[in-house]
Amino acid sequence: MIDLRVQPDGAKRIRISGIEPYMVNCLLSLLETLEQADSSPARERLYPNPTRHDDNANAEWQQLVAPELRHLFVTASETVARDLTGLQPDTHNPALSEVAFPTEHVNAWMSALNQARLVLAETVGITEEDMNVSNFKVLDKKAFAVVKIHLLGHLLQLFVELVSGESEKFTDEPEASL
Amino acid sequence: MPEPGTIDLEVTRTKEDLNVPWNVIVYNDPINLMSYVAMAFQRVFGYPREKAERLMLEVHHQGRSLVWSGGREQAEFYVHQLQSYQLLTQMEKSST
Repeated sequence: MIDLRVQPDGAKRIRISGIEPYMVNCLLSLLETLEQADSSPARERLYPNPTRHDDNANAEWQQLVAPELRHLFVTASETVARDLTGLQPDTHNPALSEVAFPTEHVNAWMSALNQARLVLAETVGITEEDMNVSNFKVLDKKAFAVVKIHLLGHLLQLFVELVSGESEKFTDEPEASL
Repeated sequence: MPEPGTIDLEVTRTKEDLNVPWNVIVYNDPINLMSYVAMAFQRVFGYPREKAERLMLEVHHQGRSLVWSGGREQAEFYVHQLQSYQLLTQMEKSST
């Protein structure tokens, strides 16, 4: 992923360039992943109760606030889906791909990438231990999910560096998770 | 209407209740990037980078961090904001 870059493209656009074919697949399956956001384990993770013991406050939150958060998350996913229709061969290397979109979509991208990572993790039950495995003996559902989580995390890290004004510090080292 | 022999108790928040601070707690999560969590703290609370990173590391090492304390309504607002970044966040009444 040495060529992967998230950079300003003029004053009003952002460009992701140097996208390897496996990352293209990962991005194109983003929506499929996010469609599982309403499954039981993912839902509990994305819309947690605001308190541990106050049943009334939790019920009220799930009735009033959770739908608002869901709307926010779905809107972000839809924005990214529309942007991804602009994927095209990279200007500098046709074997790779690139995509450009308005600067104001950056938050939607970060939200959708993070949602997808959480949904993937919840759907197959990824633990902290799984996240630290570097060589899976069997390429099962869990292994594929961890690889995808790391790939999407790498792209998300580039977005965080961009908005934090740190994009020049970019390295190819994977970012640690919490 | 209450049945004969029963008394309806109206639950109200006393002045003392309203004065008890609420803590906003962020819990550890093996998936969220450390840099993403620190960014969320900076954006939601306006914390300087050093404080945001210190709280993020507290979450990472201790499993949870008290990131803000104050009135209930404001605590609810911050929980909402942090959950919009998909951070595992809850609020609890302060025991002090």
